[in-house]
Amino acid sequence: MATTRPSNATGDVRAVDLELAQRCRRGDAAAFEELYRAHAGRLYSLVFRMLGSAQEAEDLLQEVFLNAYRKLGSFRGDSSLGTWLYRLAVNQCLDALRGRHSKMARVTDSLDDDAADEPAAAAPLVPTAVSRLDLERAIARLPQGCRAAFVLHDVEGFEHNEVAKLLGVSEGTSKSQVHKARMKLRVMLSGIQQ
Amino acid sequence: MTCHDYEIALGDYVDGTLDERARIDLEAHLASCERCRAVVADLGTLRRTASALEPVLPPAHVWTRLSAAFEAESGSSRYRWGFTWQTVAASAVTVVLIASLTWIGAGLTSTARPPAGLASAAPPRVEETSVKAQFDFAEAQYTSAIEGLESIAKNERSALDMETADVLQANLTVIDGAITESRAALQTEPGNPAAQESLFDALRSKLELLQDVVALINEMRKGNPEGAARIVSGLNQ
Repeated sequence: MATTRPSNATGDVRAVDLELAQRCRRGDAAAFEELYRAHAGRLYSLVFRMLGSAQEAEDLLQEVFLNAYRKLGSFRGDSSLGTWLYRLAVNQCLDALRGRHSKMARVTDSLDDDAADEPAAAAPLVPTAVSRLDLERAIARLPQGCRAAFVLHDVEGFEHNEVAKLLGVSEGTSKSQVHKARMKLRVMLSGIQQ
Repeated sequence: MTCHDYEIALGDYVDGTLDERARIDLEAHLASCERCRAVVADLGTLRRTASALEPVLPPAHVWTRLSAAFEAESGSSRYRWGFTWQTVAASAVTVVLIASLTWIGAGLTSTARPPAGLASAAPPRVEETSVKAQFDFAEAQYTSAIEGLESIAKNERSALDMETADVLQANLTVIDGAITESRAALQTEPGNPAAQESLFDALRSKLELLQDVVALINEMRKGNPEGAARIVSGLNQ
């Protein structure tokens, strides 16, 4: 996935993005649809996996695009429109995760701290042909802290220093959260039949 | 060094980010440690599968809702010309109902919240009513909205080709089965929260599917095959 990551804007892309942004700001519905069609798939995948809920992801995707419309005046073309939207989506995801019910936060915090669920196995636990559907389901069950780091690193293809910057944590924390997520997924997927 | 000391390094090894010295050191450990070899094999499988996950496309109704919210906020009117008065009315009613019913659902399940951009759709005042009354009210509103959309979909069905109509019917049959099943469970246990949630999920799915059908019919009537294809692609997911 790393190769499809949003990149910095260059010449033509910048001009095209700026023009699209201006048309959207003027309330051009066709331009707004173009913006949506170009980026909704990538952004929905991100928010769906980070939030672990289709319903919340749908709502948040809508919020991201409406917020983008309101904030397009601040888009200067320093990065591509895709990158700009992506950061907006990550930030809104993080806000949503932080804003979840405090009781839920306590539950997930305790899960995050739970390191005693790894079996002492001498053979691989995860089927080599684990299905994508099983993995998607397991990702949705991860505690939200390590899920965000895992999605950004292992699914979206960011490096740990980039994940750290996006999440506002240290690189070491990104590494440990990704590792925690992987070890939990390992346990969750250990019962799956090949 | 123990296995615990190599814990994070195992991830770096799978990612290929260990420097040479650390890699040689870890490989020496792996040669004699079955447990860490098993972990490396599993982390490798997870890494490969995760990086190959396909994009998940948003359902078609997300765009339907978003474009309505965008039009409301920006004052644009591109889509207004393509809608018949029935579909405009149905979409507007459905959007308001989804906002209101999701709000009611939040009161019942403490999990849902109103869709973005629809905060102006005032929720009914139900604070003082009982949970059962809220549930009955929400179910009645869903049922009413579904009936309205079903009626439009039935009357305008001729706009759809046979294959699409068959796919829609198959999807509706599955959802109707889930609704029947949930209602049966609720008859046995009226207060069962899982059955209540299951019924609302099924009703919400049916409402959203019908909303997509209305949007699809509108695209067909506008003569916009690309818009229609996008909606059909969402319906087939």
